[in-house]
Amino acid sequence: MIASFDAIETLLALCLTVAALACLFDRHLVRACCFFIAFAFTMTLAWWLLGAPWLAAAELLLGVVLTGLCFFYALGIFSPDASPKLMRDSLHEPWSRAVARLVLALGWFVMVGAAIRYVIAEMVYSPTEHPLLLAGIIIIACALGAFALHRHLLRRLLAFNILGSGVFMLLAGVAGTSPAAQALITVGLCIAWLGSMLAALLIRQLLHLEGVEVLGHDGEPKEQAK
Amino acid sequence: MIWRFGLFDSTFEPLVTTHWALVIALCLPLILGLLAALLPPKKAWPVALAGVPVLASGVVLLVAVAQVQLLQWQWEILGVSIALRLNALSVLLLLMTQWIGFAAALYTPGQLRLTATGPLGRWLWPLMGVLISALSLIWLATDLLTLYIALELMGLAAVGMLLLSGKAAALLAGTRYLLLALVGSLAYLLGVALILGHWGRLDLQGLAEVVELGPVAWIAAALIGAGLALKAALFPLHGWLSPVHGNAWTPVSALHAALVIKASLFMLLQLWSILLPDTFYAPRLIAWLGMLAIVWGGLLAWRTDSLKTLVASSTVAQLGYLMVVFPLLLGPDIELLARSLAWEGFWLQLMGHAFAKAAMFMAAGNLILATGESTLKGLAGSSRRLPLSLLVFGIASITLMGLPPSAGFTAKWLLLQAMVMSQQWWAVAALLIGTLLSAAYIFRVFRYSFDETAPRHHYQPLAPGMDLIALTLALIALVLGLLAHFPLELMHGGGV
Repeated sequence: MIASFDAIETLLALCLTVAALACLFDRHLVRACCFFIAFAFTMTLAWWLLGAPWLAAAELLLGVVLTGLCFFYALGIFSPDASPKLMRDSLHEPWSRAVARLVLALGWFVMVGAAIRYVIAEMVYSPTEHPLLLAGIIIIACALGAFALHRHLLRRLLAFNILGSGVFMLLAGVAGTSPAAQALITVGLCIAWLGSMLAALLIRQLLHLEGVEVLGHDGEPKEQAK
Repeated sequence: MIWRFGLFDSTFEPLVTTHWALVIALCLPLILGLLAALLPPKKAWPVALAGVPVLASGVVLLVAVAQVQLLQWQWEILGVSIALRLNALSVLLLLMTQWIGFAAALYTPGQLRLTATGPLGRWLWPLMGVLISALSLIWLATDLLTLYIALELMGLAAVGMLLLSGKAAALLAGTRYLLLALVGSLAYLLGVALILGHWGRLDLQGLAEVVELGPVAWIAAALIGAGLALKAALFPLHGWLSPVHGNAWTPVSALHAALVIKASLFMLLQLWSILLPDTFYAPRLIAWLGMLAIVWGGLLAWRTDSLKTLVASSTVAQLGYLMVVFPLLLGPDIELLARSLAWEGFWLQLMGHAFAKAAMFMAAGNLILATGESTLKGLAGSSRRLPLSLLVFGIASITLMGLPPSAGFTAKWLLLQAMVMSQQWWAVAALLIGTLLSAAYIFRVFRYSFDETAPRHHYQPLAPGMDLIALTLALIALVLGLLAHFPLELMHGGGV
């Protein structure tokens, strides 16, 4: 029984990681959004498995349905034919920038990993016993790197959402599913949805005012020095 | 440090009147904001009338705190406990929020009428209501969950308000701010997750008892610090600040610079004083960054051509003064007297800056609205035509420069005393350089405005009261220096 439970959890963790990576690094925006929906759906299953049905319901409603709708609205699926649709991210970043962001993501990976090592001491001996926690750390590092790397506003929004899910997964991993942890995660989900909605409205409005090019205007790199 | 934030057990139960005052202070701004979205007020007097109960609730709470020093509330909802406290510091910050919020709300009808804002204008009211309610909650909350909720509500409302002007530049700056603020809040949440996982509790008072210094405390403090510093525009993370203010409406800028940024700073100091008591390097790092902020913000403000960028960059520099005080508040081996002087100077500087900066943004907004130009050169000739707006700008800058008898002067005096006592000469140097730089950029504004040669064509008349509201705020900042012993005595009573 216990062995099969672990297998399911490992499978879920793998699915989460793959969906997150696909969502973060696919330049085809519609496909990336579909991967995000798949990711959020896997998160729902993970909450269910961790014994937090309320959280699963909140994730299904807020994460899958409402945030998904926000993304497809931002893509322009629902708007009339005249307005521009977003299909591909054709912005390219110079190599120096990419390397700098990779180092940043690695730094965070090490820092968060070190913190987890102290919080859950027994994890040092058996890191594979907490596959979801491990997936959470990897997802956070990748999403942070992607958020810093991409200039396209929609892709940064996707990266933010994935980052949020990774943080929630980590929170549940280190703090369990106590009422306080569930309350924190629910609030986080609501905020992520509100933020995504606001950002989707903004992206549409910006496209309407200025055209597609404006989404890449992200000037000073110092703004993300973090 | 902990007792200064009122994190100990209270001996008195709150009275029934204070319960009601608390409910009014926290909920009424929100309700009024929603009402105003349905029926947008066209004149200032309905706003003034509606604001009276909120201000009255603040006064009732002040009287209650003056009597018993500390009030606490606690509720248990679905297994999650929510705790509030009200001590001298939080009641002073609450009053500051209510008065500046009231002034901004009074200013708004005139602004909306004169600038033809279109249908988006009415949405300013509910956002302002959410912002003031959330800020009031931040000053009072003592558990990490409530603080998180209030911080996020405040952040989203602030972003929404900054976007309302609807220009493409504002939208772009706002989107960037939104994404950075959201990621900042995730960093905060990650820090909270570590705390909850390691110590298993979220209430600050309980945490203060169980926290011991170690890698977890360090990393949690770093994560929380990074998230909050991003939101507070502390020095290396301030890049989003000026573009965001450049296109925002005047009352929005005033509220944002005066209150929103301060709330993140307040949380940072409160949480670090629990997680990192008596550490050497972390507050020292903040102080070094603060020195750079003073110089860099001052230079930015000195070199800029746009009036709003000048006021916004001066915020970066003024936050630097507060950052420089961190080692005195959190560092080890600080004498008790020096620490309490630094503590008083810190909050006096924060409050004085809040009032002065709100007044300055309003004066700058008035000047820009009346002349129709947003550059410094466009101010030429305004000394004769707009003397009152310029006077307000001048009175506000007295506080920012720290000339007597303003709150800025009294605060800097206290801070200097504490720094000399603990022999932090580099901090003294930073304070003096900052004063010189702020004088440099402020006198630059006056040099342009007293230029008489420019041909002046057309001045937009301002709505009645727009200058008077700004003048009142600037005078409060000035008088706060003369009457500083009232708030300081109130804070003294908070324990010893």
